[in-house]
Amino acid sequence: MASSLVALIGLSLFLGCGCWLFFLWAVQKGEFHDIERPKHRMLDDEEKPEK
Amino acid sequence: MLVQERTGDATLSFCCRGCQGAYLLIKGAGLADFYRRREWQETGLAPKAFQGRFHDSHLSRFVYPAAGGSGIDIIIDGIRCASCVWLNEKVIGRVPGVLDARVNYATGRARVLFDPAETSPSAIFSQVDRIGYSPRPYTENAAREVAEQEQKDLLCRFGTAVFLTMQLMAYAFALYAGYFQGIDRQMKDYLQLFSLLVTTPVVFYCGWPFLAGAWRGVVNGSPNMELLIAIGALSSYGYSVYATFTGGEVYYETAAMIVTLILTGRLLENAAKRRASGGIERLMELCSGQAQRFSGGDLETVDPRELRPGDLILVTPGERFPVDGKIAEGSSDVDESAATGEPLPLFKKGGDQVIAGSSNLTGALRVLCEREAADSFIARVARLVEEAQSRRAPIQGVADRISAYFVPAVLTLALATFCWHYAHGNPLEESLMISLAVLVIACPCALGLATPTAILAGTGAAAAGGVIFKGGDILERLSHVTVAVFDKTGTLTCGRPMLVDIKAARGIDPCEVLSLAASVESGSLHPIAKAIRDYADANGVVYPVGTELATLAGAGVTGRVAGESAALGSLTFMQRLGVTGIPEAVETPEGAMVVCVARRGRYCGTLILKDRMREDAPGLVSYFSRAGLATLLLSGDRQEATRKAALAAGIGEGVGELSPAGKAQRIDQLRAGGETVLMVGDGINDAPALSAADVGCAVAGGTDIAMETSDLVLAKPDLERLALAHRMARRTMAVVRQNLAWAFIYNVVGIPLAMTGRLTPIYAAAAMALSSVCVAVNSLRLMRARHG
Repeated sequence: MASSLVALIGLSLFLGCGCWLFFLWAVQKGEFHDIERPKHRMLDDEEKPEK
Repeated sequence: MLVQERTGDATLSFCCRGCQGAYLLIKGAGLADFYRRREWQETGLAPKAFQGRFHDSHLSRFVYPAAGGSGIDIIIDGIRCASCVWLNEKVIGRVPGVLDARVNYATGRARVLFDPAETSPSAIFSQVDRIGYSPRPYTENAAREVAEQEQKDLLCRFGTAVFLTMQLMAYAFALYAGYFQGIDRQMKDYLQLFSLLVTTPVVFYCGWPFLAGAWRGVVNGSPNMELLIAIGALSSYGYSVYATFTGGEVYYETAAMIVTLILTGRLLENAAKRRASGGIERLMELCSGQAQRFSGGDLETVDPRELRPGDLILVTPGERFPVDGKIAEGSSDVDESAATGEPLPLFKKGGDQVIAGSSNLTGALRVLCEREAADSFIARVARLVEEAQSRRAPIQGVADRISAYFVPAVLTLALATFCWHYAHGNPLEESLMISLAVLVIACPCALGLATPTAILAGTGAAAAGGVIFKGGDILERLSHVTVAVFDKTGTLTCGRPMLVDIKAARGIDPCEVLSLAASVESGSLHPIAKAIRDYADANGVVYPVGTELATLAGAGVTGRVAGESAALGSLTFMQRLGVTGIPEAVETPEGAMVVCVARRGRYCGTLILKDRMREDAPGLVSYFSRAGLATLLLSGDRQEATRKAALAAGIGEGVGELSPAGKAQRIDQLRAGGETVLMVGDGINDAPALSAADVGCAVAGGTDIAMETSDLVLAKPDLERLALAHRMARRTMAVVRQNLAWAFIYNVVGIPLAMTGRLTPIYAAAAMALSSVCVAVNSLRLMRARHG
């Protein structure tokens, strides 16, 4: 019982760490630098780049 | 302002450069027929007004190596909306050789990644220029880079703290349940170990700024708020570690919560500060990057920071002036809206002053630099804004002063509690727990959040209503105001008087009086001057332009017209000049202004002007009266007219015939008498009075001097907003007081309870969190009811 719970907690922590690292990467890349533009961006791109 | 494009036989006009760019794109795609159906009626700027030149030799300095090619940061002037961002991204992205282009909407900055073998910076710049925006290379600013790095760092710490605290709370809830319902011993140990694992980075990584700040406080011998935070977090952490290995209850969530909540507060504060200074910073970026300087007969492209007073530079149409200066050659329309708020472009010619940050619209100008870039008008305003932001509300100082006593007191109490319980036969562990509960309940979260959250919410709500406070202290002082002082012209009245009558002295033609007055006033932007000139123009009276014109603010104008000395101004001004032939009684109709005109020291006649009262003026005055404020009207106008205007607006007292210095003196007298004074004025005339008052508010807001001396800026010259500002200030301060009272009462009740051992740390932590939430929610009420 206890060991399976510990394994599950460990797993949740491991998965959470993945998200956390993703967040750190995003901050370093400057993804949160501009929080105005992305909400407009989804409206503009009806036209797919012809590549 | 319009943009024109000449195509063979026709001239096309566009509402803005963006539309011109769109047209060129559409035309380039062979779809120009679209425009055949349109009709254009308005005229615009000279063709190719906004064409710029870009040299790779200069631009290459800004190129940096990036993954897969080279990168360059470009500031794009002219971005107004999301569509501009879209257009720029697409257009830059389509330049062959450009790998990636991203435009930041908030800063107007583009980051372009390109292949240096296929394209050059100047090709990219020309492309942006071609669609009607003005690109400039972005120069790195060390201070800004540091600020950006700090923001990133804070965000990382905050995100980490939130993530780990979320994990921790899951374990904490399991432990809570275990505390009440019983838990397997081994399971409890595991959960406590996991808690230790996630809390350690929260305290030591995320909480590092506070720990360092607390340490600095200790070293400097000045205990601060951060010390309390650090002690709260460290003691609950330290005790929990001890309990983890000896068995007992742990309080990791207290430590983690303290850190997370304080980080949230900092993040919000930083965001608010950045928003406030964003506009001005952008403007500074726009006039940095490049300038074209004459050296010998040639032009060289230099960094504006290298410009020295006396340098001659070329400013082409579409460019912004990089420094303050004087026009040496050429004439052009100049848009100074960024600096002065004046929406209409001004025509400037040789000898006129130009302000850094304003943009040159129509003609190429040779400008003589008068100040270095770091000392320009824009830089000075930026410094002013920065200063205003670093000013804190005095009540916040109260919280800091209290903490200087509070921290040592709490530490002493905790230590005393521990000693007392230990000496009275309690086991070590229990004594430690009780003293820890004292520390936790005394945690100053609520105290620390009380003022900043309320001020933030209050200024935010006021800004949404069109009132911008220059600092938290303004909000506080405005709430204490006991006397509201108004200026008359331009403040209570529309400030646009109309000439209604001319009373000429015997033997002089009224038209001659008018022509003389218009000549003397030909160089002035004063509303009276405008009214006189408008009337003269409307009646077809021609007037020569006066020379040697000298304005005495609030009094009158002297000068020469057709070689003869002439003067115009109030009756007292005439008497002071020793003008002869002034009639015994100059008759004044109700609510009118009288301006006397003299030539060669002899009285010629009077002009009678009437000004309309603003419709919302009586409403504002009655609001202030109801709020218990005394009201006073100070004016440079005649006593009788001032008294009448005061009566009409419902103002208690009106004092007229005051010079600008006299007004400031009156305000100083009021302040010496223990009153807190709000001065509502407008323009250069009231600048001394505005700065003399506790709170100065320039209603018109437009002129730079008014903006510099004004403590709160109204987005629209609308007096009702002032009532809103006052109401918001009072409500905010009420909330601050409630918050502080709550935080103190909470401590006063909680600390004795904890000292007697009736409050275990786990309840203390819950109560602490509740207290912080109460304070934050109480502050947020301000945002909700902003019209209340």
